Amino acid sequence: MSSPRITRNRGPYLLIVPTILVLIVAMGYPLGRQLILSFQEFGRAQQFGQPAEWVGLQNYQDLVTDRAMWTVVTRSLIFCAVCASVTMFIGTLFALLMKRVSTGPRLALQISLLLTWAMPVIAAMTAWQWLFDTRYGVINWTLKNLGFSSFENHNWLIEPLSFFSVAGVIVIWMSVPFVAFTTYAALTQVSEETLEASHLDGATALQRFRHITFPTIKPVLTIVMLLQVVWDLRVFAQIDFLQKVGGTVSQTHLMGTYIYTLGIGQSDYGSASALSMFVLVLTLALTFRYVRRLLAEDAS
Amino acid sequence: MKINKIAAATVASAMALTALAACGSSDDDKPAADESKTVTLWLAGKEDTPKPLEEWLVTEYSKQHPGKTLKVTHIDWGELMPRLNTALQGKDTPDVVEVGNTQSPTFTSVGAFTDLTDKLDELGDNIGPKGFVEAGTYDGKVSAVPYYWGSRYIFYSKKAFADAGIDVPTNLADFQKAATQLKTGKTSGFWLPGQDWRNGISWIFANGGDIAVKDGDKWVAKLSAPEAQAGLKQVQELYKDATLAPKDGLDAEPWVPFNNGEAAMFMAPSWARWSVPEEKAKDLGAFPLPGVDSGAAPVFAGGSNIAISAKSKNQNGAFDVLKLIYSDEYQTLLAKNGLGPANDKFTSLMGDDEFAKAAIAAAATAKLTPASPEWAAVESASVMEEFFGSIARGDDPADAAKAADAKLNTMLNK
Repeated sequence: MSSPRITRNRGPYLLIVPTILVLIVAMGYPLGRQLILSFQEFGRAQQFGQPAEWVGLQNYQDLVTDRAMWTVVTRSLIFCAVCASVTMFIGTLFALLMKRVSTGPRLALQISLLLTWAMPVIAAMTAWQWLFDTRYGVINWTLKNLGFSSFENHNWLIEPLSFFSVAGVIVIWMSVPFVAFTTYAALTQVSEETLEASHLDGATALQRFRHITFPTIKPVLTIVMLLQVVWDLRVFAQIDFLQKVGGTVSQTHLMGTYIYTLGIGQSDYGSASALSMFVLVLTLALTFRYVRRLLAEDAS
Repeated sequence: MKINKIAAATVASAMALTALAACGSSDDDKPAADESKTVTLWLAGKEDTPKPLEEWLVTEYSKQHPGKTLKVTHIDWGELMPRLNTALQGKDTPDVVEVGNTQSPTFTSVGAFTDLTDKLDELGDNIGPKGFVEAGTYDGKVSAVPYYWGSRYIFYSKKAFADAGIDVPTNLADFQKAATQLKTGKTSGFWLPGQDWRNGISWIFANGGDIAVKDGDKWVAKLSAPEAQAGLKQVQELYKDATLAPKDGLDAEPWVPFNNGEAAMFMAPSWARWSVPEEKAKDLGAFPLPGVDSGAAPVFAGGSNIAISAKSKNQNGAFDVLKLIYSDEYQTLLAKNGLGPANDKFTSLMGDDEFAKAAIAAAATAKLTPASPEWAAVESASVMEEFFGSIARGDDPADAAKAADAKLNTMLNK
């Protein structure tokens, strides 16, 4: 009698061991190392063998008193908020559209979204850069031919606000497919019977969405939103790429590129690690409520 | 709701990945007794060292050292610094590496390269250019030696000059006049993108200015000095009256507008010549940027140094590679391919057409960026790009220089 019971108890633990090992090796070690680095003065000399000096909270203190850092953090938060919410909005609209249209158009839509999603970042960035190119870009050419002559040779990346608008469009374009597909999958789980019943009872489309569809797909939307926030907060490749083709670098850093410049660019690994720890805490703080709510819903 | 559990796990991992881990491990540095059969050489850029030269090195190496092979890996310029930063300290270090001349101090200052001071004689008795050797020297020890040099000069359209009745300018004022005169509604007289500091800096050098000079053991930025300011005013004139290049543009591919017939002149290192298509090549002329009064203006010297990784286990094999690079045959190959040879006996082999003449004249006075180990940080933070960008947008040169000087002083003296 006892043997099946033991198997039942051990099984799950055995199954989870590989995952935990991978987590420890792939994340525990770098994270631990990063935590230690953040308390050290660690530059190029240390990298090449000099002993690293323990400086306690000095790196953190320097960060907190650095105005440039706070500017970058604020900028990142705003960029993240705008991108994540616009992505959610457009993505959900796409999902609703997919639910409405007939098979042909839906397939076309899904394939386009899938291709967008599958496009490697650098390839996509190159194409976007060509679109926005000052001299040969299609966007300037189109605007000019539509009668907006001031867009001839317009520099899209020179002003930070314009830079971030371009970056935002690209980031949103890249993340909409994920939101659209996930939300669409969730929408297929909404009970048709309930919708039909409420329709017969005279509920309007908006009311049906608010009171039936939305509550059903809300857990999925929450998760997707959470991922969007995390992703948009650590956006790196797009900003780095645009900075290299013309942005004003010091005015367009987000947290990712700022950490990279500090660490890899200027070999100040101590400060870069301290800032990374700060970003980690910030991300946890921003998403804590969502995660807790998810876990609570899960338990119920 | 199973989906929640999976998603929660995904979320946890996604967030953990948010933390950017700086890498760097300190391996102990005991050199192994025996050398391996393969010696690795990292070259910068895809074809900055032309293919035939690379092949010559590989074949000749196995011929002279039977049983050993030379393995060449190409690293893109943009990745070179981070790759070297991590690779040079580990067990798997490349044996011989090419490094941009101005990037050398970053590594020589931390002892990443093998000291070659005592072995220089074996490479040749007239190693140059001087500035390159200085860039590879730290605390009196030479650990990175010149690989090749290139110099920037002006490429121009002979037809545009003839049509406008302009002669090749012999002083800087004439050059400014020509550039302005050649500008039309659709074409730039002189192609100069806003953030192209590597070319723009020539005007500061031409007027006797500098980026920064060493005073005792401190670097002092000099962009606000009157000489630099005079140069910057001229650059600003060019931005305003001579060029249609984007104000946020960088120095990439300046031959493109020329090839498209949208620029009468551009400035670039000598190898730019090979990017002008054949049908346009007949129209292509060259001259060194003229100095304020006459002669050639000092321009920013391009080129590379080459060094042996201090952690390499193949110190002897690696030095054999350096000897091969400094051999008469290879120096000849470099010169014939338009790359300035480290041994100046071979410079004349670069030819006597106008391109070679312009290259040699420009190189004679060419200057380097400050030989500070921190210069690489300045480049990675794009300080100079931003500074020239603000000049291009019409900011007051004095104000812009003051801000840039402050940044440079902090960064160079870190």
